[in-house]
Amino acid sequence: MPGLTTVAKKEFLDHISSRKFLLIFGTLLIVVLVSALQGAQTQQGEGAPPTFLSLSQTLTLLRQMVTNISLVGGILAIALSFDAINREKTIGSLKILLSYPIHRDAVINGKFLGGLAVMVLVAITTFMVGIGAFVGVTGIPITVDSALRLITFLGMSIVYLTLFLGIGLLLSIMLSEPSTSLLGSVIVWLTSTSLLPNIGWAIASSVYPPRLTEFSEASGQKFSTFGPPPEFDQLNSIISGISPSYSFETAANSILQTSKLEFGGFGPPVEVTISLEQALMTALPYIVYLIAILVTIFSVCYVRFMREEIR
Amino acid sequence: MSTIIDVRNLTKRYGELVAVDHVSYQICQGEIFGLLGHNGAGKTTTIMMLVGLIAPTEGTAEVAGYDIKKEPLEARSSIGLLPENAGYYDNLTAKQNLKYYADLARVPQKIAEKRIDDLLDLVGLKNWKDTDVGKYSRGMKQRLGIAQSLIRDPKILIFDEPTMGIDPEGTKAIRELMKDLSKVQSKTVILCTHLLHEARQLCDRVAIMRWGKLIALDTIPNLAKKVNASEEATLEDIFLRFYEVM
Repeated sequence: MPGLTTVAKKEFLDHISSRKFLLIFGTLLIVVLVSALQGAQTQQGEGAPPTFLSLSQTLTLLRQMVTNISLVGGILAIALSFDAINREKTIGSLKILLSYPIHRDAVINGKFLGGLAVMVLVAITTFMVGIGAFVGVTGIPITVDSALRLITFLGMSIVYLTLFLGIGLLLSIMLSEPSTSLLGSVIVWLTSTSLLPNIGWAIASSVYPPRLTEFSEASGQKFSTFGPPPEFDQLNSIISGISPSYSFETAANSILQTSKLEFGGFGPPVEVTISLEQALMTALPYIVYLIAILVTIFSVCYVRFMREEIR
Repeated sequence: MSTIIDVRNLTKRYGELVAVDHVSYQICQGEIFGLLGHNGAGKTTTIMMLVGLIAPTEGTAEVAGYDIKKEPLEARSSIGLLPENAGYYDNLTAKQNLKYYADLARVPQKIAEKRIDDLLDLVGLKNWKDTDVGKYSRGMKQRLGIAQSLIRDPKILIFDEPTMGIDPEGTKAIRELMKDLSKVQSKTVILCTHLLHEARQLCDRVAIMRWGKLIALDTIPNLAKKVNASEEATLEDIFLRFYEVM
């Protein structure tokens, strides 16, 4: 497609040389590095077995890294795309760009691809720094299983970051002023990272408040616990799951959790391994949801931009 | 002279508002064609339809033999556009900006490099070619716009208020350049301007638009005759007479 690579190359170079990118990406690297080192220290502090935290569970120590990618990564993606189209309209360069013999979709696709390339670069660099620091400090060997989990996590992170890139791009097409699209993007980010999960928790808590639950062992021994009923988690997941950030974090944490402890009666807890296949099955609905939103957002961007009249 | 642009019943409606109303005319190769009218007369909408930025509601146009609706890319490849309030990438230098546009127009690398240098020299920006465009004055950006419109060596140039914001010396140079492009290089120039003396000085023919309609189209002496204006009448007088009559 004429012009596609030219536009994508310019976008990529513009992004990686911009101050806002360097500032936010630098922040992301620092927080990921700190969280990876914290996770590594936690692992070292736990000492050698026997502890509840076995080596197979170490990947869950990257949970903080998941949160950081969700928060700071989302902001970075928005910062790169919130003014992708409306800024060109405002400065008057879009008219010139579209007067060249290129298809209009080369512009929107090129901008998206340029941003995607940056997101891939960000995700890979962040991973190399975070995982490198974690493995370097703990000395834990990366097994095939953990490598596959980390690669899956990397792929999910790219999808998540690209999703926020798409949100910024969409708002930059729909809203004429860059300041308005920035505000809109930040509101979407806040809703995704904080508001929806809190709403989900609040609604689920009010519908299914904590209560005393009794259950009995096979031996006939009766136990009672006080806490939210099982329905609470279901409702919370449904409402909070609308949020891409919640879906990403839930899916990523599922992928990184290699085992869980099961308590049964008075006996010691038993560590049950979660295979990658099982973890993927748990994460799959969330991954499909994220990809579906991404495709929908890009389709809307595409249709809106193609139909737009540039005056 | 052969026809290079053939506008046929070109119309643009925005709901009830008719921005361009069944406009038809032909423009010849090598001609400087003035498009005149008050704000909102439909001049910019007309040229935006010619370059494919706005879709016509009715009618069509042929640009260098290509239909703007059926073969928009081919039609666009013959046009160099300098829109009103054109903007460039402030973080790039003039040379980098022009290189980007040359790449979009698929100008071969070696030709592009020479052409960029020649054009920057032509518009008087040679000494600032490696300066970020963000540091340029409005007039310098306008000069860069002229260079941008010529980067793909088009047959047709559309200049929307090309001398706006440019000092008298630069204005004179741009007018000379337009004459040269038309008379020496046989390029067609469509000039949208509010400066009627500029149109009088440069244009072979002018079209006067009012509320989307084409109310007059001819050479300036012939237009003067149509409204019984004296030979000494300015284009402003002629223009206002047409507005009174129509």
